[in-house]
Amino acid sequence: MLDYETLKLIWWVLVGALLLGFAIMDGHDMGVGTLLPFAGKNDVERRIMINTVGPHWDGNQVWFITAGGAIFAAWPLVYATAFSGFYWAMLAVLWALFFRPVGFDYRSKIENPTWRNTWDWGLFVGGFVPPLIFGVAFGNLLQGVPFHFDNDLRSFYTGTFWELLNPFALLTGLVSTAMITAHGANYLMIRTEGDVYRRVRSASLIFGSLTLVLFAAAGVWLSKGISGYVITSTIDPNALPNPLDKTVVTETGAWLKNYSLYPATMLVPAIGFLGGLLAIVAAKFNKPLTAFVGTSLSMLGIIGTAGVSMFPFVMPSSSDPRSSLTVWDSVSSHLTLGLMLGATIIFLPLIIIYTSWAYKKMSGKVTAEFINANDKSAY
Amino acid sequence: MISSELVDLSRLQFAVTALYHFLFVPLTLGMTFLLVIMEGAFLVTGQQIYKDMTRFWGKLFGINFALGVTTGLTMEFQFGTNWAYYSHYVGDIFGAPLAIEGLMAFFLESTFIGLFFFGWDRLTKGQHFMVTVLTAIGSNLSALWILIANGWMQDPVGAEFSYTTMRMELSNFWEVIFNPTAQAKFVHTVSAGYVTASIFVLGISSWYILKGRDIEFARRSFRVAAAFGFASAMSVIVLGDESGYTISESQQTKLAAMEAMWHTEPAPAAFNVIAIPNEKEQRNDFELQIPYVMGIIGTRTFSKEIPGIAEIKEKNRHRIESGMQAVTAMEALRRNKEDVAAKEQFEAHKSDLGFGLLLKQYTEDVSKATPEMIQKAVDSTVPRVAPMFWSFRIMVALGFMFAILLALSLYHTVKGTFLKQRWLLRWAVLMIPTPWIAAELGWFVAEYGRQPWTIYGVLPTHLSASSLSANSLYGSLTGFVLFYTGLLAIELYLMFKFARKGPGSLGTGRYYADQQAH
Amino acid sequence: MWYFAWILGVSMAVLLAIVNTMMCDAQACATKDEQS
Ligand code: HDD
Ligand code: HEM
Ligand code: HEM
Repeated sequence: MLDYETLKLIWWVLVGALLLGFAIMDGHDMGVGTLLPFAGKNDVERRIMINTVGPHWDGNQVWFITAGGAIFAAWPLVYATAFSGFYWAMLAVLWALFFRPVGFDYRSKIENPTWRNTWDWGLFVGGFVPPLIFGVAFGNLLQGVPFHFDNDLRSFYTGTFWELLNPFALLTGLVSTAMITAHGANYLMIRTEGDVYRRVRSASLIFGSLTLVLFAAAGVWLSKGISGYVITSTIDPNALPNPLDKTVVTETGAWLKNYSLYPATMLVPAIGFLGGLLAIVAAKFNKPLTAFVGTSLSMLGIIGTAGVSMFPFVMPSSSDPRSSLTVWDSVSSHLTLGLMLGATIIFLPLIIIYTSWAYKKMSGKVTAEFINANDKSAY
Repeated sequence: MISSELVDLSRLQFAVTALYHFLFVPLTLGMTFLLVIMEGAFLVTGQQIYKDMTRFWGKLFGINFALGVTTGLTMEFQFGTNWAYYSHYVGDIFGAPLAIEGLMAFFLESTFIGLFFFGWDRLTKGQHFMVTVLTAIGSNLSALWILIANGWMQDPVGAEFSYTTMRMELSNFWEVIFNPTAQAKFVHTVSAGYVTASIFVLGISSWYILKGRDIEFARRSFRVAAAFGFASAMSVIVLGDESGYTISESQQTKLAAMEAMWHTEPAPAAFNVIAIPNEKEQRNDFELQIPYVMGIIGTRTFSKEIPGIAEIKEKNRHRIESGMQAVTAMEALRRNKEDVAAKEQFEAHKSDLGFGLLLKQYTEDVSKATPEMIQKAVDSTVPRVAPMFWSFRIMVALGFMFAILLALSLYHTVKGTFLKQRWLLRWAVLMIPTPWIAAELGWFVAEYGRQPWTIYGVLPTHLSASSLSANSLYGSLTGFVLFYTGLLAIELYLMFKFARKGPGSLGTGRYYADQQAH
Repeated sequence: MWYFAWILGVSMAVLLAIVNTMMCDAQACATKDEQS
């Protein structure tokens, strides 16, 4: 089996990959939900939008579920500390997500307009709220979160829910919302035509540009106004994980250190920008598939930027820096990491293959004729 | 220290959300296989009616499925939000099956369920059948992994405590997967799901037959449900017995409470058919017994004894006293890893560490626990008897009732006389809700019977909870109850609406409701 | 080996149920149902 240090690094990449998979896959149907009440002006148009993701939203949502499960298995301390610390934020995400399964499945089963309209707003909530909160959560991770461990490694969160909604975090929340909305718009461009297509194309241009502006603003703010964290004790990456074994200080500009240390990492934010630009240009020239690839790359860059800036930190503690969780000391045992890597290597390619097959089988534009012909069986 | 109010609220919230989730799970587990059967018949015969059956029952299945997903989301994240210390303490073992469940099962099920509903015109007959099969396999694999996780909580094999990382660590994953407790639990639980779905289809079909509508459709559905249901009902009973046997090996307190066995009896022990347990005096006020049966079920021998509550408590007292030494040594080692004396003491007592931790409910400093505290801890090791005793008996009684109902149904389908057995059809309609009662009671027995532990013998429940405020819990619990109850009401409304309408809701023009509309 | 028993058992039960329902289409059984 690989040595412990390597496995710890691989799992940092894999958790990132699962989050990215979540953003790309579940992100596009959340974007569809966000745009639903605005880009769909009547019942048929809304049903068109819903049916572009009808067969896929549940599979996509599993990226989120699996990312949760993988964090539990690979970084149990992060799973425990972050989810209990961000208690109300997590519940808000869950409760917003509740509207999706029922919204998709029940909405068109009854013909009453009030019923349908209500579920449409439910789908909006399910699409809009989670990306916003995830963005806010990343903003808080970058600033550090007030929590500490006692000697038994029980975690205590000492902040409040409202403290999470600070200006920088709200900015990152907007980055995330704009990014997901643009991505959803690009997906809809692939699968629709006519009026809906025209409306989501404008949405793609607006939110695509907005993403880049906000991302740049967050970058400037991060380098000037936010202090990062640095480990000051020597760490043994192969040691058994115990977060209390190290010392940590805060330092302005620390989050930029990795970029000067390893200049190649500058590529990551660059991909964020270039992917975004590609998406905007492609949308402009009516190349939806390219635009979709563009926003996907852009998300790789933007999420990657947060990860690379903080590395090796995952969840720094602002109130007791030595309790901070890092790639080295919040992980599972050597055996579990190795085993889970094996499971991932087997299943992830399979998942990608059959998901692609499902998309291929269901590909093509969803049209008004299709909705009318399948009135009883379509969503 | 974590307040007991917080722990109780966290428990209540977990119980409420889990029991809600399990209202929807059994139907999914069983219905997917019933759909495989119906579509299989379509594949073989090519008759349209089998396709209509697959689509109509699939529609009802979809209504249920949506809430299964909704309530399942909560479950996945709830360990982190509400059981943070638990998640840290056993995440190394418990997290793995949960993650594999996502990778191996949820993806499969959720991807193909979309094709099941929307792929009729896009896939060949064979491809669509394969999609249905994969959905069924996916949903059952999800049950497999979660029950491996839950089985490990009941019977924690293949893991060891490490004081450096202050948690349990995996030592042998195969033992976790092939844990006999997990195996029995898995087959018992999925079979219960098959029974649930079979009785659902059987009952609704019976109703159509009684009403004299959609007979061709209902008759075939009835046949599917009777055959599959009968096989499953047998499996539930056999594996229920197996579950009881694994408990007698691994969780003696649970078994003693289920059976209201206050004292060890000479082997083979008698089985209490009915009893009135008296918690205060630790005895039964009344009992109706069948001699020998308990001993044979529990141990599968005539000579092994099954320990009673009083004797188990005495054993646990020793383990708690030994556990005090383990906790003290562990705390010394947390301060200084090189403490040789502490290490020796820890090694000698580490198998009782969990029992020492039970005392943390009463005092921070376990080494100074008073005899009263120890007594309290000893008493807490056995769950309350009456709720266990009765829940278990109702589940078992229902299980036998299902077996009889399904056996008679199968008998009459083989003879071809079921359409005129109106008493049987009426009975089938009345039985529709009862499998859910049995399943929920089963979970109650399994989980309440594990108390005071979340990980049996390893981690006490009161340590497992997150350090949240009680007010947060009041808020979230209220939110969940309101949300879930509202959604459940909507689900039931749709379910009744479409079940009443019957296959006519497909809008094919071939069925009763279609004719009514014209 | 209960896992193994499950794999066998489910397959058998599925086949049993398919056969049982297709009895409906076998002429003899359908008429029998009919007469009832
Ligand atoms: C339709 C549902 C249903 C029916 C008819 C039965 N059960 Fe059951 N039972 C369950 C549904 C269930 C369950 C929901 O699946 C449980 C809860 C946890 C678990 O593993 O399975 C369960 C648990 C459970 C346990 C506890 C397992 C543990 O704690 O690990 C035992 C001993 C039995 N059952 C025994 C039986 C017997 C002897 C039955 C005889 C007829 C029976 N059950 C019928
Ligand atoms: C702590 C326990 C549990 C967790 C964390 C959990 C998690 C989940 C999640 C996240 C989903 C949604 C998946 C999707 O989006 O498709 C789900 C659905 C499902 N779960 Fe659970 N679950 C738990 C208990 C159980 C148990 C005990 C069983 C079976 C015995 C089970 C069987 C299923 C099935 C079959 C589904 C498919 C959808 C449906 O429920 O209708 N789950 N679960
Ligand atoms: C692997 C997954 C599971 C875990 C980790 C788990 C853990 C827990 C925990 C921590 C509690 C609170 C403490 C307690 O009272 O027992 C609990 C209670 C309970 N759980 Fe489970 N459980 C699991 C699966 C399930 C499922 C799927 C169900 C049913 C659908 C269920 C039914 C219950 C019930 C009825 C209680 C209440 C018992 C009580 O309050 O004492 N459990 N479980």
